[in-house]
Amino acid sequence: MILLDYHNVVIEETLNQPIVNLEPTVLDMTVVDFDGVAYHLSTPESKSVIKFSLIMQCYKELVQWGAQDMLQREYGPYCVPKEDGYDVTLEFDLQKLPEDKSQREELVKKLALIKRNLMAQPFERAFEQQAQFEDEKQPNPTPDLMQIHYRDQEAIYIQAQLDRVTVIFTTLFKEETDRIFGRVFLQEFVDARRRPAIQNAPQVLYSSKEPPLEIRHLPELQNTSENEDIGYVTFVLFPRHFAKGDVREKTISQIQLFRDYLHYHIKCSKAYMHSRMRARVQEFLKVLNRAKPEVPNVEKKTITGKTVIRS
Amino acid sequence: MSNTLRPYLAAVRSTLTAALCLENFSSQVVERHNKPEVEARSSSEVVMNPLIISRNENEKVMIEPSVNSIRISIRIKQADEIETILCKKFTRFMMLRAENFIILRRKPIDGYSISFLITNSHTEQMYKHKLVDFIIQFMEEVDKEISEMKLSLNARARIVAESYLSQFD
Repeated sequence: MILLDYHNVVIEETLNQPIVNLEPTVLDMTVVDFDGVAYHLSTPESKSVIKFSLIMQCYKELVQWGAQDMLQREYGPYCVPKEDGYDVTLEFDLQKLPEDKSQREELVKKLALIKRNLMAQPFERAFEQQAQFEDEKQPNPTPDLMQIHYRDQEAIYIQAQLDRVTVIFTTLFKEETDRIFGRVFLQEFVDARRRPAIQNAPQVLYSSKEPPLEIRHLPELQNTSENEDIGYVTFVLFPRHFAKGDVREKTISQIQLFRDYLHYHIKCSKAYMHSRMRARVQEFLKVLNRAKPEVPNVEKKTITGKTVIRS
Repeated sequence: MSNTLRPYLAAVRSTLTAALCLENFSSQVVERHNKPEVEARSSSEVVMNPLIISRNENEKVMIEPSVNSIRISIRIKQADEIETILCKKFTRFMMLRAENFIILRRKPIDGYSISFLITNSHTEQMYKHKLVDFIIQFMEEVDKEISEMKLSLNARARIVAESYLSQFD
């Protein structure tokens, strides 16, 4: 499995039974997603009413860029006042769900994608702003530099520009090995575009220590220059990458998953190294054990049938 | 095998064979103690001069003989950051399993990647020439293993980057 799924598989599988098959079940579970997002699925009052809550570190920032409207648009009929300690709560009454099974399937699919949809808002906004630059009838907007602090020390910065949209990830590797592996991987991301097959992919730039020009003025990045572990990955998206429709949706999903994808593969290669080392060490042990003279361990018996054990 | 590796390993092999002539030797200082002299350093007359065989500045072997024990420290080639970290991981992995590798020292000597300590009881229990074989084979294969791991890391990184970026078409 090289690529990661955009949706949350656990949510999808858990909600399939009650929502698609309309079988009421008792639920009380916490499901986690990438980037510290957590869901709480529960049936507090009766088996047929499911509460679906979500907590997200950057929710406040996303609201600023239109997350609320998206929730109203996509999940509107199910929105209820939020549960304590969570950012969004939806409620599903199994008696009031759409009659059509395929519609219910779609609803589950949409719920599994809720994190992706929330995170997609700033991207959508940046793409809209870029479209305004292209449109000569409209005045040029002043594009927002949208910051999403989706993890404790990492953030995504999105800004529309005259002919492109730049997406900048700050990456921080906690461990020495991760940092070095990460650098190898990111270097390949930069170099990969030279291959003719993927000429159309967005340009990837990688710099460590020095923040890119677009975000250099931000106060939070002023004193990070001493921190060697921070790297900046810039994706340059051209209008062809966010042509309206499927292409745009796919690009958004892809870009969001970048960090998870990178880290997932760093972990995978560490695991692979580990299994390799295990095999190699086993082999070395065999070689060393060859140095021990074999003890002839033949059971010898006396004529009466008793066993003689040599010490 | 490259041109410089062969004489390097040959030199290590003959030095080790010569140095591995150990006998049981109790401490001259403390009664009823029998410790590897190369570690205990209780009396200097039983510790011989250490010998360093180096292939280049990054790869060398130090052999410290003494009357009842010999310590072999190997510095593994580390050309760049990746090799350094892989080497560190690999030697750490081995040293955590030192009780299985009877002759492995749990900590390397300063400036080296990995150390072995062979005492007279080891040479009594095991064939001496096979012990030398083990050290030589270890030196040969550890380089190979580390460069293979590095290659596979690079290959993986390339595939990962390509498959991510090719989705944008």
